[in-house]
This record gives sequence, C-alpha cells and structure tokens, in this order.
Amino acid sequence: MSTIYDPLFDCKMVGALRAMHGINDCISIIHGRNGCHCGALLLQTLGSEQNSVRVLTSGLKASDEVYSGEERLSSAIRLADQVFEPKAIAVLNCSAPVIMGEDVEGLELLLEGETRSELVAMDVGGPEGPAWIGYEEALTKLVSRMRLNEDVPRGGINLLGFKADDLCSRGDLNEMKRILRDQGLPLNSVLCGSSFEEVKKAPQAELNVLLGGDGLDCAKAMEEEFDLPYISVPYPYGLKKSVQFVEMIGGALGREADPQILEMERERVKRTVERAHMFFQGIYSMPVAVVGESGRAFDLAEFLSSELGMDVKLLAISSSNFATPEKMTAKEAHYQKLMIEPDRWDMNRALEASGAALIFGSSFEKRIASELQASLVRVSYPVIDEISLSDLPFAGFSGIAHLCEKIINSILTRNKDEVKA
Amino acid sequence: MNPEELDLISRDEAPILDTMRRIYSAVPVHHLAAIHGKIVGALAVADAIVDALPLIHGPVGCAFQRKLNPFNLSSTFYDTPCTNLNNVDVVYGAEEKLCKGVVEAYERYSPRLIIVITTCTTDLIGDDIEAAVEKAMEMVGCPVVYSTGDFVGRSRPVGIQDALYAVADQMICRNEVEKNEGSVNLINSPTQRNALKFQEMARLLTQMEIKINKICFDHTTTEDMMDLARADLNITGYRMPWAELMKEKMNVDYCKITGWDRYNKKKDPELISPYGIAGSCRFLEEIARIMGREGEAEPVIKKNRTATEARLEAASKELKGVKVAVPVGFSLNLLKDIGVDVAALVYRTQTLSHGLTERAVREIERANLSLAELYGFHPELLVNPTPDEELKTFRKLQVDLVMAPAKIAHFYNREGIRTVDVGDFTQKKLNVGFLPSIELCRVFREALGKAKVRSPLLDLMEFDGGISNLTPHWAKTALSFHHLRSKNFRDGYYYHFQGLAGVELNEHNI
Repeated sequence: MSTIYDPLFDCKMVGALRAMHGINDCISIIHGRNGCHCGALLLQTLGSEQNSVRVLTSGLKASDEVYSGEERLSSAIRLADQVFEPKAIAVLNCSAPVIMGEDVEGLELLLEGETRSELVAMDVGGPEGPAWIGYEEALTKLVSRMRLNEDVPRGGINLLGFKADDLCSRGDLNEMKRILRDQGLPLNSVLCGSSFEEVKKAPQAELNVLLGGDGLDCAKAMEEEFDLPYISVPYPYGLKKSVQFVEMIGGALGREADPQILEMERERVKRTVERAHMFFQGIYSMPVAVVGESGRAFDLAEFLSSELGMDVKLLAISSSNFATPEKMTAKEAHYQKLMIEPDRWDMNRALEASGAALIFGSSFEKRIASELQASLVRVSYPVIDEISLSDLPFAGFSGIAHLCEKIINSILTRNKDEVKA
Repeated sequence: MNPEELDLISRDEAPILDTMRRIYSAVPVHHLAAIHGKIVGALAVADAIVDALPLIHGPVGCAFQRKLNPFNLSSTFYDTPCTNLNNVDVVYGAEEKLCKGVVEAYERYSPRLIIVITTCTTDLIGDDIEAAVEKAMEMVGCPVVYSTGDFVGRSRPVGIQDALYAVADQMICRNEVEKNEGSVNLINSPTQRNALKFQEMARLLTQMEIKINKICFDHTTTEDMMDLARADLNITGYRMPWAELMKEKMNVDYCKITGWDRYNKKKDPELISPYGIAGSCRFLEEIARIMGREGEAEPVIKKNRTATEARLEAASKELKGVKVAVPVGFSLNLLKDIGVDVAALVYRTQTLSHGLTERAVREIERANLSLAELYGFHPELLVNPTPDEELKTFRKLQVDLVMAPAKIAHFYNREGIRTVDVGDFTQKKLNVGFLPSIELCRVFREALGKAKVRSPLLDLMEFDGGISNLTPHWAKTALSFHHLRSKNFRDGYYYHFQGLAGVELNEHNI
C-alpha cells in the first residue's frame, strides 16, 4: 500500500461543517489556523448560497499554540452569539488545537447559559478521520439536543443525509418534498437542511429516512433514544429510484404509494424523453465514468446504466459511508470497474484506461476531463465552478429532465475544433 | 523561461482568462474575511515551477481542501499528494513516512523537484523534517526541498516567500556556477506567471546591452530556477527574502522595482512610483548604474521616452481635463502621463493598518499629496469616507470617472458616474516601461466611451453602509474576522463591535 495519497475526500472538519452548515440558523466557528478557516469558507462561498455563508474563525494564532487558544475561542463564541444571533453555534476543533488538547467540550459546559444560542462543540482534527465520519458524528451529536414531546402525536418523516452544499440540493429537496407530499407523506425535519428548532423536533417524526445510507449513526442513536425506526432509501436519481424512494418510504409506514400519481409521473417522464428521443438514442451505450460520494454515486451509476443505457466503465467512490460495503457486494453491478476512495493518481490512470467520453464528477475532475477531452457533468461534491439558481433538481421525477439535458448539452455544446483528433 | 521564448506566449491574452479571474474578485478572501494559510502559498510556488511536485506532510484535509487556490480560484491545484497522517503518526511521529513518501512521489510522478510542505500537525508534533528529507534525497534522482513557514519571519505572503526561500537556500545557492556575465533575472510573483508583463522591460534592457538571464515565473522549470544563480542581478517586483539570500550567498545583486526605500532616503515624492515615463526612466537608469551601462542606457531611454511622449500627445487628447477620483496607491505618474485631472484622492487606511504603522500610513498620505501638488493636481483628499460622503464630494467636484473595481462599479454607475476598472491593466500590463502609459490611455478612453449603466440589478440588493462592497451579513463576517484576529484582541471587545461597523474596514475602491 502506498504511503502517499492524493485524496478524493476531505477531513473530518469539513464533513462536520457540511452537516452543521445545513442548519440554516447555525453558525460554525473553525477553531484552527487560517488555512482551515479559509478553505471551509471558500467551500461554502463558491456555490449558489452566497447570501447564507455562516463560517467564522476563532482567530487561532501560532502564539496560542503555546499559551492555549481557549480564551480566543470563548471570545469568538460570544461574538458570534451577540453579533449574528444564531440559534446554534457549532465549534469545530481542528488539528492544531486537538493536538494541543484544547477542551472545547469543557468550554461548551462553561459557557452554557451565558450564550443565547446553543453550543455544539466537537473535535474534528484532520488526523482523526475522513469527512464522512465527521458528517456522521456531527449528526449524531445533534441527537442530544433533540426533544420528544409525548403530548404531540408523531407524524411525518425525517430525511437524513441531506447535504445542503451539494449542487442543486435546494432543487432536490423541493422535489423530494413534492413527491412525498403528493403521496400524503409530509416532511418533519431534514438533517441537515432545516432550522435548529426543526432539528430539535426531529423525534416527533414517524420514520427516519436515510438518503443513500448517509446518517446511519444518527438514525441508530435516535432509534435507541426515541424509539424512532429508520430505513435507508436510494438517492432518487431517475424513474426507477424515484418510484423506489416513494414505495419504500410508504411501505415502511404501512401505506401503499398512489399508483395513479406514479403513472402520471411516468407519463411526464415519457413526454420528456419524446421531446429529445433522438439524442436519448444517441447517448445509449456511451462510455462514461462516475466519481462521487457513496450516498449518491452508486444510485447515479445505476440510473445512467439501467435507464439511459450508458456504459459505466468506472465508478470511483470519492467518500464512503456505512452502507458502502453492502453496495459493493450488490448482486447486479451497474459498472465495469469499482474503486473505493482511490488515490487520485490511480483514479486518473483508470479514467484514462476506461475510454470514458463523459465524466460525472466534481470540479476537481475538471483537469482530467480536459486532458482526456471528455465532457464533465458536475454532480458530485464539491462543485465550486458551477452554480444553480433556477432550483432545478437532479433528484426525483423532475430531476430526470434536468440531468438528461445537462448530459446531452455537455456533448452538443462542445466545440469539435477544440477537441484534438 | 528563456527570454527568447517570450514571443511564444499568447495564452494570457484570451479575454476569457481575465473574466475568469475577475468573476472571483468579489469573493472576500485575502485578509477581508479570510486569509489563506502557508500551505496554499507554498503550493502556488510548486505550481509555478512546471516540473515540481508538492508533497504535503499532513492529513488528507490539508491536501484535499488546499486544492482550492485562493490566488486563482478558477484553477485548482491539481496534484496534491500527502503523507496521509493519522492519529498513530501524531503519537509516534511521521519522519519515516515522509521519507518513504518522498521516494514514492519521485517514482510515481517523476518530478524534477519535490517541495515538501509541512502542516500544523507536523509542525506541532515536531518531526525532524530536515533529517527525513536528507535521508530521502539519497534515494531519489531530483532535489528535494522543504518549507515549514519558519524561514522568512513575517514576510508576506508567508507561504510563497518561505517556499521560494527554501528553494533558494536548499537548491539554487551552490558553489559551482558558471556565470552569465552582465545579465539580470526578471522576477514576478509566482501567482502572476505572466512574462509578457516583462516583455518591454526585457527589450529595453537588451537595447541597453544588459542581457536577460531568466524571466520568472512563466513556464518556469527547475532548471530555470537553478540558472537564476548565473545572473549578476535579480530584479524583483517587491521585497523577496530569497533574493536577499542569493545576494548574501551567491553575490547575485538584488533590486526591487517597488518599495519605499528610494523615497525614504531623500523624502522625494517623485521616487514613490517606478511606473510611468518618469518612474520608468529613473528605474532603468538605476539598473544601468548597477550594471555599469549608463552610457548605453542614456540614448535608449531618451529615444523611447521621446517616442512615447509623441504617441501620448495624440492618444490622450480627449482625456485632457477629465476629472478622475483615484485611490491612493495608484501611480500618479501614469495619470500625469495620460493627462487626466486627479480631482479626488480616496485613501482607505483600514486594511493598511494590519501591516503598517500609523506613522507609515500618514507618510503615504503626505507623500502622495506632495506628488499630486508637484504634478499640478489639486485633489480633495477623502480619508476613509462613507459611501455618501464620497458621492457628495464627487458630485461637488464634478468627477467624470471613478477608478473602481468592477465589483463596486454599480454603486457609482447608478448615480450616473462612470467607472474605470484598472484591475486587468495592473495584473497584466503595469510594469517598468513606456507602453503602460499608452495602454492606460486606451483603458481610460474606452471607459469614457462606454454606454452608461443605468439600472444595475445589483442595486436591488442591500449593501452594507460601511463596507459597501459587501452585504450587511458579509460585512459583519469580515468585521468579526478582523476583530478576532486583531493583535489587540481582548475578551469583551465584541461589546463595541457594532459601533465599529463602517470604520473598521472598508474595501471600497481598493
């Protein structure tokens, strides 16, 4: 095994940040050096929600590494509380202060009652693990803030594993809400894509629904604490997965999905395909590669393969989750080659060998796509060079048209003269 | 790169590249709401040396997240292998891992130079980087240097300065060097990588019989870096500790294009700027003196000066008397060359206070006012004005054109005042030479000829009253950032925070 590694995934801090930043009235304080704060801020800023970036630094300096930065951090917490008036403050303790032994959880207790916002502090040092562990731990950390009101009947479902900084996430969430609402299945809370108050009320739901397997630790903790069952559903890319999404959730709640509504959705998709059927015929069998997180990429690859008829030469999972081992051993593989959290250098060689004409990936695949003269459809985190203001989804029945127009346009709009023979 | 390759460069001329740079210009990094760390600076150096490879000695986040390049957000750092440190390494040390990593990096990527970049984690656990690198070097066929951020004190940007210093100290400075007598190196920032900017200067120096040894950074290789030691003189844009080191160790003389040293010696305001006709003549004469080519330089400078003045005479006719509002910091020499009237000088001192003393801030003000008077301008000085104060003054003075970046142009445009953005000019053209004055003339004429923007959509938004290029939320974020990083940080200062809004920081016009 190699010593060096050019990773496709980030550290624990960014995973935790992605979870906490999804709470729309929570501010995150990066207790670390400049670089960690700058990177975290940029990841949230270079997208389509520039009016809602809530990332502060504690201002940790080199001298604090000798004398402790806890005072500086406590001041940052007070400042965040007073100036931004958030409902929650997430304190993310990065590599340097973790090694220094900064006691952020102690600080959380110390400041309890002093701040109007609730503090959620956690150690997220780089050497402690990957982003997806940080994401899982952050969601789990929220369980202790949740309250079940026994006097109010349970109702609705929670979506776990939602990531508000994914490209088109707002559209995806709207679409998921719509198709669930059409089936009489209201949402209770989204982790994390709700207010802090809504997160706290998550135990009032009837069911926790894990998107692509993300949020399992949190679901287990909620099951234990609040006796709330959970199921894992596919991320609803395409027709089949969208139907599955509805049917599995309905099934878990003992309700049958309304076949008439599903038929209407099918009819709508059919009309979409009809409008550009010649191009749908044209992309059939096309060699493609998918690079993305486990909670999304397996389902995307299946949609591309099973519904669009594309030839998925390579599926590279950039970041795992607890469901990855199960998905790896699925009976029917919708890809030729699978790589789990590969080194970027190895993945690039595999992409070269795959002959993929189209890569579904993140902004970080821009250069390899360009080198291979393949088109790049940005669907995976992080997307920092494309925005989405129209709120069109990738997910659900409505997402099919958007995804397909992106795929087809990524080929049609190429300037042949720019592609060398 | 070699000077004869200059004509081959055309890629930086594509307008889309300017646009790609500009679209990120409103993102408030670079001391506004965030500062990139040293790793990014060191990566910028590794990226500027085309056959070099960075090796980040740290955990995965330091490699993944740092792919974002705050110096050029449209282009990420591509290869960023790391030693993938985990908790076990933190306890037991990772020197052996680093040594193995260097060897693997060499075998996998075949670079001509490996730059090891340490991180907070490895700095704190106290790995002996030097020893690990020395051991690894015995097993690879290329130089390996390491940058820890500790070589250059507080010279900024620390990551860039430190990595360059490391390259100079650990690789360039050596005993046996075949000199290229009578030659100079022209060196810009590794983040700019635009040798075209030096094209005219290189031509003038060549006419003065001064040879060009190397131009950095643009397609620069490890071999080019090694060859820097062959020159007699390094000409750099600003202070670079690595060039000082080369002077000390290799006797390669060193001259900065910008810098207040010249002014400080005589307190002569004309010495502030090395640009424009007057500044360029002085700087070229200074280089000629250092290189012993005064006799050759004189006719070259005279001929070029005369020709430029003749061209400007015709080109700047329609700019005569145009009233301009100018940020302090922009070269008044150039504005004199193109014939505009500097009606207002806007001085933003808030961001300066992080790197300069109060005395220096006042000295800059005094020197610029003296220079303005010397050139026959009689500007009204506005120190940290609010947007309303600024507009009121501009209307009173009947300002025709405000020098402002695109990101805040809408603020003036909606009031019917035209703006000129000199960002691209500064990035790509501004240097010692005679052509920049002519180019600036074109930029101003174009700005005056543009259709007026009457109802920018940006006006639908609320911007902060104090920091008018940011929304109120971002302004609070920026103020928080500055407050929390303040040298005078004290617990409890935040109580005065709201009162500071609007005076702590204002990026308007900078």
